[in-house]
Amino acid sequence: MATNLANGLSSISDDFTVKAGLAQMLKGGVIMDVTNVEQARIAEEAGAVAVMALERIPSDIRKVGGVVRMSNPEMIKEIQAAVTIPVMAKARIGHIVECQILEALGIDYVDESEVLTPADDQYHVQKTDFKVPFVCGCRNLGEALRRIKEGAAFIRTKGEAGTGDVVEAVKHIRTVNAEIAQAKAALASEGELGIAKLAREIGADPILLKQTAELGRLPVVNFAAGGVATPADAALMMQLGCDGVFVGSGIFKDALDREHAAKRARAIVKAVANWTDKKALIEASIEHGTAMKGISNADLKEEERLAGRGW
Amino acid sequence: MPPPAITVGVLALQGGVVEHIALLHRASSSYPSITFHFLEVRTPEQLSLCDALVIPGGESTTMAIVARRLGLFEPLREFVKINHKPVWGTCAGLVMLAEEASATKQGGQELIGGLDVRVLRNKFGTQVQSFVADLNLEFLGDGEGPFRGVFIRAPVVEEVINGDGKVRVLGTVKKPGEEEDIVAVRQGNVFGTSFHPELTGDVRVHAWWLGNVVEALSQSVKGEDLVIRSGKSVTEQT
Repeated sequence: MATNLANGLSSISDDFTVKAGLAQMLKGGVIMDVTNVEQARIAEEAGAVAVMALERIPSDIRKVGGVVRMSNPEMIKEIQAAVTIPVMAKARIGHIVECQILEALGIDYVDESEVLTPADDQYHVQKTDFKVPFVCGCRNLGEALRRIKEGAAFIRTKGEAGTGDVVEAVKHIRTVNAEIAQAKAALASEGELGIAKLAREIGADPILLKQTAELGRLPVVNFAAGGVATPADAALMMQLGCDGVFVGSGIFKDALDREHAAKRARAIVKAVANWTDKKALIEASIEHGTAMKGISNADLKEEERLAGRGW
Repeated sequence: MPPPAITVGVLALQGGVVEHIALLHRASSSYPSITFHFLEVRTPEQLSLCDALVIPGGESTTMAIVARRLGLFEPLREFVKINHKPVWGTCAGLVMLAEEASATKQGGQELIGGLDVRVLRNKFGTQVQSFVADLNLEFLGDGEGPFRGVFIRAPVVEEVINGDGKVRVLGTVKKPGEEEDIVAVRQGNVFGTSFHPELTGDVRVHAWWLGNVVEALSQSVKGEDLVIRSGKSVTEQT
């Protein structure tokens, strides 16, 4: 994937260069969900490139239920003070004020996330209005490009958060890859008309779709997320073309103790840094030990699925 | 005489690797008589194939932890400080090449060293303070116009910690209402920038640095051909 993303987007503004640039600097890394200072320190010591500060990891969000909102700024500030790596936080889909609060806190990236309860059933946040950059989830190319059009500078697969089942994340990256191949073919065979037709079909901006076809990849960094639980899961997502990995519940859920969580965290960092090296993947899998028990995606009821939130 | 082929590595533990390789490819067209190989470096074996190295931007804490686990620290120190091969670090790479760093994580972080400076990590604050600024980089030559410096959670050189004049300041930036900060330095074979030329379409810094690499290797080839080939070059450039 020897693509210069910045060169690919030569027409973009300085503002977007800086937003997308931070995501470019996170490539090849692991972003870990953390709920307190101790977990944030474990993540930093293990080599995480960033942490996502939230009140509960997604598997516990599933268990507790109720309306899930932005985390308490007090907790976010404590985590910001405890680590030197970037700190991200989640806002509800469409909740402009939660985003404003996170921006004012000096959060490094806002995740407008389906893991929280959506605040708007019509509109995502207009992300170009903010100085803070945004990462958003997608299940397919159209959804990814709609978020980029709104100003997202970083994309992740939605997967199915909190399950420890990687199947949905795999489905989403495979769908994105297949649609990028389709866009390339459309551009090659039908030119602008082919792109315009496909753009209508998938609900994407034709200019961004053409850029994607020319680059042969999404025009911003794309991480895996949602159900990545083991070093092998993480390496699988890298081999499928993701630029890095978010791990939510996979580090701290069902960990035996602090040291086990730290080992899991180190093992996943190692797997992402050496995603084609089978010897390193064996070592990482041993170091990781028992994974979270998880919930099979197939056993989820429709109303329990988070990936369907947003559009 | 410049060597016929030069291998330039980009340390590929994490971060902006492909961006550097893409711009190095473009920059290499300035030297049509030389065959360049650009190599992603993840192991000591790959490093041993390199005549020069770029350490990209990324998270310096992550790079240090991964480099330690892969047994790369000692080979990197040898490459930079004993063999004195040309090395360029951008952002996190500058941090890695500093002898000292402040505002590091609790317990500190491991550095390669090579630049007698202390860097201050995340000088400007969090991502909302990241910025782009026109830089006047005289080493690029007159009349070329300013260089668009992209600063992302950027470090700066807080202090030159060795007074013997080997560290040359090659660029500064001044944000409104703040003091001037050092953002480009060179000490012999080691070059460091706080900003990210690899995030622009502007090839000038890459072309300038490749020119330095060619020059350094040309001097080595002159008298010490065999020494270079055995990987024990001790070329001094001042």
